[in-house]
Amino acid sequence: NGVQARNMATLKEIQLRLKSVSNIEKITKSMKMIASTKVNKAQRGMEAARAFGAASNSLYQNAETKAAEDGKTLFVATSSDRGLCGGIHSSVSKATRRLLEAKPESEVVVLGDKPKAQLLRFARDNIVITFNQIGKDLPTFDEACSIADKVQAEGVEFDTAEIVYNEFKSVIAYEANTISVFSQEAFKASPNFAAYEIEDDVLANLQEFTFANSIYWALVEGHASEMCAKRAAMENATSNAGDMITKLTMTYNRGRQAVITNELIDIITGASAL
Amino acid sequence: MNVFARSARAAIRPALARSYATEAPVADKLRLTFVLPHKALYKSTDVQQVNLAATSGDMGILANHVPTIEQLNPGIVEVIESGDVTKKFFVSGGFAIINPDSTLNINAVEAAALDEISPENVQTALAEAQKIAEGAGSDAEKAAAKVEVEVYEAIQSALSK
Repeated sequence: NGVQARNMATLKEIQLRLKSVSNIEKITKSMKMIASTKVNKAQRGMEAARAFGAASNSLYQNAETKAAEDGKTLFVATSSDRGLCGGIHSSVSKATRRLLEAKPESEVVVLGDKPKAQLLRFARDNIVITFNQIGKDLPTFDEACSIADKVQAEGVEFDTAEIVYNEFKSVIAYEANTISVFSQEAFKASPNFAAYEIEDDVLANLQEFTFANSIYWALVEGHASEMCAKRAAMENATSNAGDMITKLTMTYNRGRQAVITNELIDIITGASAL
Repeated sequence: MNVFARSARAAIRPALARSYATEAPVADKLRLTFVLPHKALYKSTDVQQVNLAATSGDMGILANHVPTIEQLNPGIVEVIESGDVTKKFFVSGGFAIINPDSTLNINAVEAAALDEISPENVQTALAEAQKIAEGAGSDAEKAAAKVEVEVYEAIQSALSK
């Protein structure tokens, strides 16, 4: 009887677990659906942002601007606040960490709570500004402008800024990469700078504009990579949950049959004793 | 004075400009890339001429123009694609960069074709912005409102041309 009672309790536990795992399966399935719809929108936004950012940065390519060897570098780690998206945030944190090892005195600006938590572990002294409320929706140019504004308002200076983001390789692949933004001095020192006519006050505005443009590009492309990674992560979670449900159902049925068998044995031995 | 200097420089430069070109664009055509953060209006399209309202003055860009970097005022960007096809856009601001290889990149924050803008909405918005600019708000609010007034007035003059 003690064995029976134990089996009953175990059966209840398995039932509870079955219920919670199938709830989780429903949740991850719907999260996958949401991420799928966001992927399309994010990809379209990314195409436009790429064209915009590439046009903005083509000036530096034409002028052959290069980072000064001993110049001050600022790293902008671009990710988001949201979890459940696979290795997106670690990708950016690891890339930033590698870059910091080459230039340990550089300052770091972090966009997003998740990379902030990871970067705090090994770059606590380098972080100057962090931003959150990033990644809820498709990033807007306004957001990028306010980030660039704030960085400037806090007096953060740099010769080169490397914006670390997740480059969208395909619907199932992303890779950390950087976009370079140069200061006015670095630009003026470019080999081809003399080819361009430019008024002096325009140069300062141009630098701020290209900084905001590059941040916008990194945010949007990072967002697209994140939506794809989230879709893939939720798909894996759903299929794992499905596997667990199958296994638990097996265990539950075996347990149920064991209880019935035990009861039958009791009855039969009792009857045969009579 | 500036005008003479500019035209003199334009006369000297073209020889230098051509030596940088790796792939010469179609003769007498300007390759235009006109992009907004959320949309690309022109992507490496060959056009004949582009007229811009820059902070240093209104200018017309043809193929093989001197490489220049210009900040755009709120105003009209007119794209003359070929003899008969002309499109006008109102841009809120941005930059135009003419590269040595006769490509023109225009990055604008916001742009709309003139025929998509409704004059009545502009009038209402202008009136509101003027009220805030002269009203009792924080300095930042007033400065923002002054910028709005400037932009709406530019739209109105653009629409009336």
